[in-house]
Amino acid sequence: MDYGRPELADRLAAEYAAGTLRGAARRRFERLLPAHPQLRAAARAWEERLMPLTAAIAPVQPSGEVWRRISERIGGGDARTAPGGAWQRLAFWRSLAAFASVAAIGLAVLLANPTPQPPPIVVVLAPTGAASGAAPAATLVASISGDRSSLVTRAIAPLSIQPDRSLELWAVPTTGAPRSLGVLPGGSGTVALRGKVLAGADTLAVTLEPAGGSPTGLPTGPVVYAGKFSL
Amino acid sequence: MVKPAADWTERSLDLSRLLARAGVGDRAAFATLYERTSSHLFAVVLRINRDRAQAEDILQEVYVNVWRAAQSFDAAQSQPLTWLTSIARNRAIDSLRRGQTQPKLQTLGAAASGTDAEDEDVYDTVADDAPGPLDLLSRATDARALGECMDKLSALQRQSVALAFYQGLSHAEVAEQLRQPLGTVKSWVRRALLALKGCLQGAVVRDGAGAA
Repeated sequence: MDYGRPELADRLAAEYAAGTLRGAARRRFERLLPAHPQLRAAARAWEERLMPLTAAIAPVQPSGEVWRRISERIGGGDARTAPGGAWQRLAFWRSLAAFASVAAIGLAVLLANPTPQPPPIVVVLAPTGAASGAAPAATLVASISGDRSSLVTRAIAPLSIQPDRSLELWAVPTTGAPRSLGVLPGGSGTVALRGKVLAGADTLAVTLEPAGGSPTGLPTGPVVYAGKFSL
Repeated sequence: MVKPAADWTERSLDLSRLLARAGVGDRAAFATLYERTSSHLFAVVLRINRDRAQAEDILQEVYVNVWRAAQSFDAAQSQPLTWLTSIARNRAIDSLRRGQTQPKLQTLGAAASGTDAEDEDVYDTVADDAPGPLDLLSRATDARALGECMDKLSALQRQSVALAFYQGLSHAEVAEQLRQPLGTVKSWVRRALLALKGCLQGAVVRDGAGAA
């Protein structure tokens, strides 16, 4: 079957999200997800469409025992930084692939690739409080793609900036001058990360600049958001 | 009037932040995330797998995996509540194919058989304390666009989708429940989903045009 055919991909994804795709067909669909971006996008779109239907289900409180067992398993030393973490993570991705959450599938792609890529990095940019009133106190979330080729930012709440101002995103290295990653209209945008623009950087910062971005190539306005990360 | 679909988006904003913090190892944020979402995810799982002990095991697996995968959550691609709910649903559906715990199907009352069911809510004849799939559907569809789109489906299309989605029934089980041929049910579900998609897309276009 040609899973690249849009109408077939869409039909399978619809039945996957609705839950009627079962048995061997469901397992085959889950196995195909990592290598088929079109299938993945279709499945994600159907999940976004259908999951709000679950909002009507009355909540049911699980017993306190469930959280106790969860915190036992995630506590006692950070499993993610334990020795052999990379292998544990790989094993985890395998179990996750069996899980077949479409949303988490970015990681399962690792398994399909001969040379594994690191997972995407999410950076939370908290408001600094500088220039209060100029930029609202909503948080920005930036996510750096697994292959480090692009960065997507999204404002948690809509931002309103004065029309004669722009928000500009910077990669700040531990030593040396900040490097501009581009202007973010409304706080949200996609940025291509060229060359080694993130090399040596440990902070993402957003400054308030004249419309269109800093005229000098270096920050001129106050830092209104900042967040630490490590590659 | 509560509007679950709108509420869905609002809750999501907060959860993005918690997931991002859990992704960098913040256990307190993860505990808050659990507090805010576990009763929803548990209810979703319990609808599909009614064995309470198994449902709690599933929930435990879901959250342990969410903790480990939190750093891969991409707020630009998915709503957090959609992401979490999809993980829980997939895990619950997986548990059905392995276990023998498939919920016993309620059988329809004799009154429903042999009647022309085209415009009759067959499932309404099933006695059950818990809200049925159709009740849930009508509650979920308070939000305008989704509600209007659901209303455009035929009664049987709606029932088929509700049984499949809420109870985790397969095509064959929906067919058995509604006492309809398998092929008929398959095509109801397929057409219902397509109609829903087309209708929701239309609603987005209309809303977009109205806002501009």
